Amino acid sequence: MHIRAERDDLADVLSRAARAVGTRSPIDALQGVLCEVTGKRISVTGSDLEMTVRTSLDVEVKEEGTVLIPARLASEAVKKLPAGAVTMKTDDSEVEITGHGPSIRLRQLSVDDYPHIETGDGTPGSEIGGKELVDAINQVVIAASGDDARPMLTGVKVEPIEGGFRMAATDSYRLAVRDLLGTELPVGGLIPARGLKEIGRTVTDDKVRLSVGSRMATVSSERGSLTVRLIEATFPNYQQLLPDSYPNSLTVKKGDLLAAIDRASLVAEDHIPVRLEVGDGGATVSVTRQEVGGTSERVEGTFSGEPFQIAFNPRYLADGITAVDDDEIVLDAQDGHKAGILRGANTPGFTYLLMPVRI
Amino acid sequence: MRLVVAVCSVDYEGRLEAHLPMATRLIMVKADGCVAIHADGGAYKPLNWMNAPNTLIENEGEWEVTNPKGEKLTIRIEEKLSDQQVEMGIDPGLEKDGVETQLQVLLADRVELLEDGLTLIRREYPTAIGPVDLLCRDVRGDAMAVEIKRKAGIDGVEQLTRYREFLARDSRLGNVRGMLVGLSVSPQARLLAEDRDLMWREVDYDDLREREGRTLRLF
Repeated sequence: MHIRAERDDLADVLSRAARAVGTRSPIDALQGVLCEVTGKRISVTGSDLEMTVRTSLDVEVKEEGTVLIPARLASEAVKKLPAGAVTMKTDDSEVEITGHGPSIRLRQLSVDDYPHIETGDGTPGSEIGGKELVDAINQVVIAASGDDARPMLTGVKVEPIEGGFRMAATDSYRLAVRDLLGTELPVGGLIPARGLKEIGRTVTDDKVRLSVGSRMATVSSERGSLTVRLIEATFPNYQQLLPDSYPNSLTVKKGDLLAAIDRASLVAEDHIPVRLEVGDGGATVSVTRQEVGGTSERVEGTFSGEPFQIAFNPRYLADGITAVDDDEIVLDAQDGHKAGILRGANTPGFTYLLMPVRI
Repeated sequence: MRLVVAVCSVDYEGRLEAHLPMATRLIMVKADGCVAIHADGGAYKPLNWMNAPNTLIENEGEWEVTNPKGEKLTIRIEEKLSDQQVEMGIDPGLEKDGVETQLQVLLADRVELLEDGLTLIRREYPTAIGPVDLLCRDVRGDAMAVEIKRKAGIDGVEQLTRYREFLARDSRLGNVRGMLVGLSVSPQARLLAEDRDLMWREVDYDDLREREGRTLRLF
């Protein structure tokens, strides 16, 4: 294999594919990225078997071939070369990366040891705006759990709804639900949140194609493809947690509430709950921590219903407010003991359900 | 397990001779053949006992327990007040590390209690020498290996040191820090941890459980 490419372009395809290379793979070959050069292109694959990123780039091909090289080392090596054209050439058991003087030689890994990687099962994809998808993913993945002991909570449930599809994630304390209309998705699945978080950093483009098959989900674009193995677990039945209406509803400016929570968080670290006394004219946000002190401030807004008091984990509350893409936030609640809902006053489609803390 | 409450006297012949006068006692005959005589007090030792294997012969008003070593326990029963047989099944064993496991679960949900901005990568993160309790990421992007002990001593520091060494070999994890967490951390462990540039943190189990209880779940 022998190619010539611009340093930044080559570093980009190598580092994006390397993002799928795991940190704890039992197979040495999976520490590498597979570089396949045919025609006028180099195709780079990185995988930990659960997630696979494939990128490609038009390059000047002097000799076709396939090589497996250490993922992080190769992308860092290319980045450290002087700007401009670089060459990558195999030589017996090594690959030599050169550019304007410096030369870095890396030992190849055995291509024969690289496992067969499935990238999708042929399920046709649905086209969607890349930014729209990534923004929606960022809204819901905050609620996904990082605890592998409960695998069903580490994923984002993607499922078809009328006129589009829905994404939902929960760690059992909060639930984030986002509807994306205008893109039909024939079937759904439970997609690892870890994989979805990588879409923005690896393959997103103006337009992407999302396909969910029986075992895998793939997002692809002109920049490459990301495939993740679906989680084989049952996602909690969350629909029942979303009532049609609430008797109490507070509307406040997002910036005002977020700033109040931020100030309260100064005192509320270590999970001291932040209290909201909600009633006519807005809410009083307060925190009391015996050994430190407390904060209290008024956030003006409009309210309908019966006054109530509710307390939340400040981080979870701030996460939810931040995720709402609207200048005005609505907090819906039944009372201080049941889950509250955060949503945008003018932008339907996103719902953040948060359980209170007992006070 | 057979539990007999009876007014009885007991005579032991073997390595020595012992006599328990007539009184109300609990006779336990365990599934493996052990026989133990208990008084209504004391939590530790029976008054008399014979370890398995034993042969128990029940005669009218008198039990004879013998073993291959030539020991003999004679129980003369004046009145049987209760006789119960209970199937107890397989003993799962003493779970000495129950608190540590529970601590791991509670802390996995609240790693930010250990350090501001800490996020969980994985519980039971595998290394070549065994799983580290928690692997986290700090605000600067460094990895943090967390070893959890009920009572953290210098053994815990040694264990954490080994984990950190192995994790540091994985360049993709970046810089690896370490934190020893316990309900108590011994002074020696604190000193050794600090000497090795490891952090330590004491946590309050009851407080963690209370937080868990206060925070309501959706399901």
